[in-house]
Amino acid sequence: MKRNAAIIGVGETPFTSRQDYTNPELSQQAALKALEMAGMTMDEIEAVVYSMAPAEFLGVLDPDKWAVGAVGGLNKPFMRVHTGGATGGSAAQAGYYHVASGIFDSVLVVGADKVRECKDSQQVLNTIWDPMYERQFGLTTITMAAYQAVRRMYKYGTTEEQMARVAVRNWANAMNNPSAHLKGKITVEDVITSPYYSWPIKRLDTCPSSAGGAAIVIVSEKKAKKLCTRPAWIKGCHEIANTVFMGDQMGGAADMDYADWDELAMAAKVAYRQAGIVDPLKEIQVADVYAPFTVTELAIVEALGFCRKGESEKLNESNFFDMDGEVAVSPSGGSLCNNPIAVTALCRVCDAALQVLGKAPPKMQVKNVKNAVATGIGGSFQFHTIMVVGSDHN
Amino acid sequence: MAEKIAILGIGMTKIDGAMRDTKLDDLVFDAASKALKDASLTRKDMDGIVIAACDELDGRSISSMLEAAPSGSYLKDEIKVTDDGAYAVILASLRILSEHFNLSLVVSWCKMSEAPVSDVMRMRWDPFYHRGFGLNHTATAGLMAGAYLHKYKVSEDISARVVVKNRQNGSRNKNAHLQKPVTLDEVKASPIVSWPLKMLEFAPESDGAVAVVLASERKAKELGRQPIWVTGFGWAVDSYYLGDRVLYDSPSLRIAADKAYKMAEINKPLKEIDVAEISDFSSYHELIAYEGLGFCGPGKAADLIRKGVTENKGDLPVNPSGGLLSSNPYTAAGLFRVAEAYLQLVGRADGHQIPGVKKALAQASTGFCAQGNAVFVLSK
Repeated sequence: MKRNAAIIGVGETPFTSRQDYTNPELSQQAALKALEMAGMTMDEIEAVVYSMAPAEFLGVLDPDKWAVGAVGGLNKPFMRVHTGGATGGSAAQAGYYHVASGIFDSVLVVGADKVRECKDSQQVLNTIWDPMYERQFGLTTITMAAYQAVRRMYKYGTTEEQMARVAVRNWANAMNNPSAHLKGKITVEDVITSPYYSWPIKRLDTCPSSAGGAAIVIVSEKKAKKLCTRPAWIKGCHEIANTVFMGDQMGGAADMDYADWDELAMAAKVAYRQAGIVDPLKEIQVADVYAPFTVTELAIVEALGFCRKGESEKLNESNFFDMDGEVAVSPSGGSLCNNPIAVTALCRVCDAALQVLGKAPPKMQVKNVKNAVATGIGGSFQFHTIMVVGSDHN
Repeated sequence: MAEKIAILGIGMTKIDGAMRDTKLDDLVFDAASKALKDASLTRKDMDGIVIAACDELDGRSISSMLEAAPSGSYLKDEIKVTDDGAYAVILASLRILSEHFNLSLVVSWCKMSEAPVSDVMRMRWDPFYHRGFGLNHTATAGLMAGAYLHKYKVSEDISARVVVKNRQNGSRNKNAHLQKPVTLDEVKASPIVSWPLKMLEFAPESDGAVAVVLASERKAKELGRQPIWVTGFGWAVDSYYLGDRVLYDSPSLRIAADKAYKMAEINKPLKEIDVAEISDFSSYHELIAYEGLGFCGPGKAADLIRKGVTENKGDLPVNPSGGLLSSNPYTAAGLFRVAEAYLQLVGRADGHQIPGVKKALAQASTGFCAQGNAVFVLSK
């Protein structure tokens, strides 16, 4: 029989452009917050998973080894997980497997990033690409997102206004989240008139480069019941890797299309099955999603089964994805409002778990959350993670 | 451990110096497909992939982007650790024990020939306190060796004999990078790189990839296999700050070994284990590991060397493959140890086979002066 595990502590530092803390210090701040919520001390943690994506932003290549003492890892089992942008989602899953293996009762998943520490994050992100074929084109994550936007425009007639609405909602939601990096009342006009980065992606279609840390405490069923009145049970999780080549994701021979995220839909199917979710729109109240660009959110909500392909643009013009809508998408403001790359996907898990724990900041809290889902994306939008947390377990 | 983890097969590329004609993708694919073939399984049979790689040594900021596919990950549940390759075995094992996975492919690689190794190592240090000293992997190994030498007064011959032993072993291993044995005099006469360590006391820089197929106990039985079992594993990490560490000892290795031994029900490692493949990044790494692994008491590693206990004809042969001193594809080195231990157990280690191996140990280390350690006990 599979062993149950739950998140009982969540910690996020404020996300900013600040440079006055080191990576271990930011991780420690997040870890202490998570432990405080869990009612535990560092000594009670049996193993640590360190969430750290490309270290080139930071310029210290083994920050996990550096942070061992700061996060209470000394003499403990300790490993670093790194799947690009999806890192935080992968690290959360690795932490879950630590507990679900039956070997550990309490595990800390923690990390931090300082994306602004480097001269130009997009310069670093050019070096994620294959040195033989792709790097020379000047590919970055922004141009990669532009390709997806163009593909959706071609396939579904998506407009720049429709993309802009995603930013408007996320920025408004972020006003309820004290940790969010970007927030405020912006209009479609503001987004549309912001400067182009790579057509049709504009400045306000894009996430910030954030500094900050995030952490979760995952415990066994026995410990969860003892320490927490309403744990966020990890009901389902999965991750999936697609091809790195965007060109292989279009045309007749392609298994799936770059406009859609069928691979995320595949992962969601597995996670939903594990969680016993049949109708996601009815059974899931909150989705905190890793959408670093406006257009990516449109593809994610479809892959999560909240609507059909090509429908999200129209639905987003109503209140469907709002706090009081059919499903609240990124009440935290999501990745458009904070992107500390190494832990961005962990923030999504944190913000989904907070909703189930009932411990989200007052205005960010959605009422009666039974199930919440968190996603992550990494690489050339090729690595997807999904985790379903809920107020009950199987 | 209630459930055991099965190893159904392994795949290794040749380990070599600069493999200029082989693209990293081809190297990775070679190892992964060899492991699947060895296990008589296909990529489709796998429900999970765990890889271990280092971005900076691979020269790309998310090394798994391109290498996930040759690792067999296309549309599979794939996750990557950025630690020694052996940590991928740990994570894959945890995933299998959680009952979410039944068959996992574990892949790791490194082409040191294409990396500015010393710069990468220096950049691993924090910029405030350490980097300014110009510390790298060889300089820190020298500090560790110096601490051990100061504490236990080991003669120059002892550490040189570790090299002679492993290079002699490597000469019998067709897959090893360095296959030419060296003499005691050659080791002692080689120039000092980082006192007290001389050039021949360091592992070379190698290219290579390795993959292992893991299965749940239930799946292995269902497939009707008689696999090799991972009966115990443990891992732990020490402080980053060298000043906080006792460099002549390895507490993280003791903790990791104790956990693995407890899980595998091993009480007297020297007697119960038939062969060990350990991470001898330098001659002193091997000496300190003997003590951390409980093969002898503190400061007694020299006795094991003097008595030839860890030679192929001794009670506990260590690194019959030649170890890292013969082949060192850095990130993948620990996973090669697991694969070599497997070969010893199935009797396929060819020229470097130790007869009658029933229990084998593999040890991996990560970080400066073996900051982190992982230990595996494998048995028939």
